[in-house]
Amino acid sequence: MNAFQGRVTAALADPTLKTAIDRTTNTARSKRAAAIAAWPEFAQARELGRDMKDHVIANMEYYLTMFEANAVKTGAKIHWARTGQEACEIVVGICKAAKAKSVTRSKSMLGEEIGLPHALEAAGIERVETDLAEHIIQLAGETPSHIIWPALHKTREQVGELFRAHHTDPGELATVEEMVSSARRNLREKFMAADVGISGANFLIADTGAICTVTNEGNAELTTTPPRVHIVTAGIEKLVPSMVEAMTMLRLLVRSATGAELTQYTTFHAGPKQPGDVDGPEEFHIVLVDAGRTTMLAEGLAEMLRCLRCGACMNHCVVYRQIGGHAYGATYPGPMGSVITPSLDGLETSQDLPRACTLNGQCHEVCPVAIPLPTLIRGWRTKAWVQGYEPLHTAWALRIWEFFALRPVLYQLASNLALRIMPLFAKGGWISKMPLAGGWTRYRDMPIPQGGSFLAQYKKRQAAK
Amino acid sequence: MTDAKQAIFAAIRKTLPAPAPAPTIAAELSQLRARINATRPDRVSGPADEVFLERVQSPGVAATAERINSFDEFPAAVMRYAVRHNLGLDIALQPHPDLATLNWSGCQTHDHIGTDETLAVGLALGGIAETGSLIFHSSQISPTLFAFLPLHHIVAIPYKNIWPWMEDYVASFAGKSPPRNVNFVTGASGTTDIEGALVRGAHGPGWLHIVVVGSPGL
Ligand code: SF4
Repeated sequence: MNAFQGRVTAALADPTLKTAIDRTTNTARSKRAAAIAAWPEFAQARELGRDMKDHVIANMEYYLTMFEANAVKTGAKIHWARTGQEACEIVVGICKAAKAKSVTRSKSMLGEEIGLPHALEAAGIERVETDLAEHIIQLAGETPSHIIWPALHKTREQVGELFRAHHTDPGELATVEEMVSSARRNLREKFMAADVGISGANFLIADTGAICTVTNEGNAELTTTPPRVHIVTAGIEKLVPSMVEAMTMLRLLVRSATGAELTQYTTFHAGPKQPGDVDGPEEFHIVLVDAGRTTMLAEGLAEMLRCLRCGACMNHCVVYRQIGGHAYGATYPGPMGSVITPSLDGLETSQDLPRACTLNGQCHEVCPVAIPLPTLIRGWRTKAWVQGYEPLHTAWALRIWEFFALRPVLYQLASNLALRIMPLFAKGGWISKMPLAGGWTRYRDMPIPQGGSFLAQYKKRQAAK
Repeated sequence: MTDAKQAIFAAIRKTLPAPAPAPTIAAELSQLRARINATRPDRVSGPADEVFLERVQSPGVAATAERINSFDEFPAAVMRYAVRHNLGLDIALQPHPDLATLNWSGCQTHDHIGTDETLAVGLALGGIAETGSLIFHSSQISPTLFAFLPLHHIVAIPYKNIWPWMEDYVASFAGKSPPRNVNFVTGASGTTDIEGALVRGAHGPGWLHIVVVGSPGL
């Protein structure tokens, strides 16, 4: 069993995980479905979103240059980072220059990707996660398991236990409301006392140099306004030409993520405090991070750079919903992660991810920017095969299958034989144990094959016509 | 150019050709923009102020709202709200000259916002009918934290400053240099981070009350 299989086995054996995943993803799917049903123009908007992102990616150098020039005009200081490590060094450097003791952070998947939480801790800077879910997993010492709901794997009972152990005056914690209110009280002073606030960016607005954040809790603004320094870390693919395009993207992003029409707080941050402003930071830094984006471009994964990080693909993924995010062993789980991770971490170490997919196409269908995830996943599988990463038993199984598939008479004989043998293992209409099928039957039963083989049925129908 | 920037641009160039001339890019962009109107959800069918009032009270936004005839009536609306919610009349009043000139007798007001403020009263720059959003531009008379620290936020909005669509708001400020913060506030703060259950008042206000001032008929 390799590391991935080990994590999957552990996830499937976890008695509460499936319940926790279902509680959030079921709600997310039905809310998204309702939001899309109420938006008949969605299909057109999705094509427009796709084309807008493709336009930006195709003209990335042009828009990056424009963004930088305009951001500088607002008083922002721009930094460029080739790698995640470089980005972390820049952020830690700014914090040190500001003599920061405490830093508040508003959720950013890029921050997780580049290992910023760890870098801050290693530098001895107190890190306060302010998004409620990030706060929960910080207390638990864990990593996010979903890109929109990082603590989706935790049940309310588990959150209650954590707050009881870590919060001052947590109260009863009998309801989710009481838990939220305890977090509100416990984080309040931290927001105001932080020296530096760090956020990500959902969009970089090229023609104004502003960056856009979206939250429902209001923690982004409370993270970026009181401290003396605001640092933004953003992937270079986050560009949109102007606020006009950002509006189209917001309609797509928010409905796909939570089913709402707009997040409660959508904020465009441009530079530091201006003359006369009552609040706001004195320094405003934007770290523009490549960390593998240009490699994805070169590897033929330009379409993946459209990603808005809405999470819809994982909410609709039959594999994610069984195993949860941690089993993927990477920052980005689910279908989008299975495309991104092999590029970021190398195919050799993450070749299992593109294989953890049924290619049912749901993720592509729900993706608000029409990323052909199954095609990109298949691309990785082909590469893994060509590069000889396929495990020996899979390679042999495929060769055996190929042998039969190329000899139709033998293939039919074999499948007819299987159809006769399989019912011998059935009990009450279901097969719950069968040699060579342990991987399947350990977690679910298999129905007894009904009727003849596909070919036999097909022939019968053709004859009846 | 820094080394890192140079390296990133070189890596982009490896895959993509040198940027097309600016007019070509602009022409492509305007073709994309021409498609926007056909993709907007068909929401704003009536007068913007009416659609706005309906949207902010819809289950998705879930603010409370009312309309008053003139700005002078605003303090009374605030006091009615405070009584309804059993709140004291100690108000953090956004330091906006239009608010300062109103008659706040019967209340205690201060022009700054505390970390645990119970009630703040403000004036939005405008709103968006499509989404039921309030818009704030940070400035001397509109500190950002007024929209984020209080538990209850009451906001007045002149009916004339309600734009039908998000793009209409953007068009009104196109080409102007942006304030430090543009905040779109769409309902009270909320979270679904614990088991997907919606709870209000996560970090920002738990209650948002919107008061539309005036109407086209008056
Ligand atoms: S790939 Fe598509 S569906 Fe998945 S997170 Fe990105 S934008 Fe959303």
